[in-house]
Amino acid sequence: MNNIIIGQYVPGDSFLYKMDPRSKIVALILLMVSTFILQNVFHILVMLSLVLILLWAGGIPIGRIIRGLRPIMILLTFTFTFQILFVETGSLLYTLPLTISVYNLLIAIALVVLYVLTRKRVRFRLFYFLAYVAGILALFNLFAPGDVLTSPVINVYSDGVRGAFYIMIRLVIIVTLSTILTLTTKPTDLTLGLEQLLKPLSLIKISAEEIALIISIALRYIPTLLDEANKIMLAQASRGVDFTEGKLKDKIMQIISLLVPMFIISFKRSDELANAMEARNFVPGQYRTRLHVLSWQWIDTVVVITSTLFIAGSIVVVILT
Amino acid sequence: MNIIEIRDLHFHYVEQEQVLEDINLTIEKGEWVSVLGHNGSGKSTLSQLIIGLLKADQGEIIVDGLTLNEDTVYDIRKKIGIVFQNPDNQFVGVTVEDDIAFGMENLCFPREEIIRRIDEYSKRVRMNEYLKKEPHNLSGGQKQRVAIAGILAMNTDIIIFDEATSMLDPKGRDEILDYIKEINAQGVTVITITHDMKEAIHSDKIVILKEGKILKVGTPKEVLNDKATLNASNLELLLPLKLMYQLEESKIDNPDLKDYLWQLSLNR
Repeated sequence: MNNIIIGQYVPGDSFLYKMDPRSKIVALILLMVSTFILQNVFHILVMLSLVLILLWAGGIPIGRIIRGLRPIMILLTFTFTFQILFVETGSLLYTLPLTISVYNLLIAIALVVLYVLTRKRVRFRLFYFLAYVAGILALFNLFAPGDVLTSPVINVYSDGVRGAFYIMIRLVIIVTLSTILTLTTKPTDLTLGLEQLLKPLSLIKISAEEIALIISIALRYIPTLLDEANKIMLAQASRGVDFTEGKLKDKIMQIISLLVPMFIISFKRSDELANAMEARNFVPGQYRTRLHVLSWQWIDTVVVITSTLFIAGSIVVVILT
Repeated sequence: MNIIEIRDLHFHYVEQEQVLEDINLTIEKGEWVSVLGHNGSGKSTLSQLIIGLLKADQGEIIVDGLTLNEDTVYDIRKKIGIVFQNPDNQFVGVTVEDDIAFGMENLCFPREEIIRRIDEYSKRVRMNEYLKKEPHNLSGGQKQRVAIAGILAMNTDIIIFDEATSMLDPKGRDEILDYIKEINAQGVTVITITHDMKEAIHSDKIVILKEGKILKVGTPKEVLNDKATLNASNLELLLPLKLMYQLEESKIDNPDLKDYLWQLSLNR
């Protein structure tokens, strides 16, 4: 339990590490917005090359970025499919007539079952899944003996394909940008940066300092609570609870046997922590000096100006074309 | 000069029987007082009352001339630091230096002063090489030392150790005890709350609590001499003391041995 790393921070010393978290967050937001403003292939390519330059100049390992993209793979596949299937504007590119009959439906169900059974033993799950999808589509298209149940048609339009690619590239760019931020900024600096940026919220009676304190205490207690969860699991296992096997109903019961003590322990902890904080003169909402201060350097000004120019440029370009 | 005065203090939690009853206690400046009691004797409640985390039903607490009430509670807290029992539940900062700084940040010390004191007090508890470490990489004893540094850095007149050693291993316990002695020697008023007689024996004055009432107040010598009170308190006796009492009950008469056991009990 001693080597849990919170967040994705990887130590390094490129210019991205020397920047102020505030300027990084601002630049991230500006670049994200411009990703959505930009409209045509050329714009997107410019954006993409900007991201690649950032990766190269910041000395960020590509493997880390790919790992960051992995969780959104499913989302990407779904948006891609939906765009292609349901957008019906632009010119018709391709028509795929499908015939669903009793027999090929049965074969398709058998394939789905086979997929569910074998899916956990395969390395490239996404490709495996796509191969099955393609196989089932080909089956419905080419092989339809027996009584025909229904015959839908898949129409692929040019706007659908374009939309699908744009959304995919935009999502990839956004996730890559935010991964760059989390890879190069310590969680503590990130919360401190957020705190400073959210300061104007005090106008509507929301205290940015308290939000930042809550985040940093939550971060600090993740390893402690994980440790606690491990202990409880061991204690429950020694009483015969098996967390790995069992039906869904049993699994839910097992999770309850973990969650209930976790809740009680967390409440007890937070009560004691609140006492300890008050005993050390903490008064919510009162001004405190800070050990950590952020330092704004010339590079931060350069980056913020550049990204402001970039977003302004994107708006101008989109209006003109 | 009395730095803490407690008069006719009564307290009970909501819908529970009396936790503290008729507590009268004075603590002198620079003194080391141990509050000794069994589980549920109300000893930790007492420390939370002194620092204003709980509100008494009746009676008054005067700290350094200030009577504890809603207006003075923050000023009184500035005079008292508490080291709590669970090392994990009082570690506020993300790293060691953040945690030492927490109290000083709340007291609005200038940043340069905070940095200087982090350096000074982390050295004093020998945690200066761990300043950037996170709490889950530290042992219980190390975390407790960080807590002590955080309290010392606030420069309070009074430090309460609320069972601060009870979750530590024997080595960690001895270390903390050494720091307590050192702190007290430098003129800080120390209150240790404990169920361990071995710890209490080092202090100037022992207060024995039982079921919310003060059973006895006296020097370690006086307390150890009072066999009846010790028996009534249900406290775990020190081994040499236990032996001495048993020797007294037996027919063996050996004044030298008794004397030796007595000295051992007082840890001399």
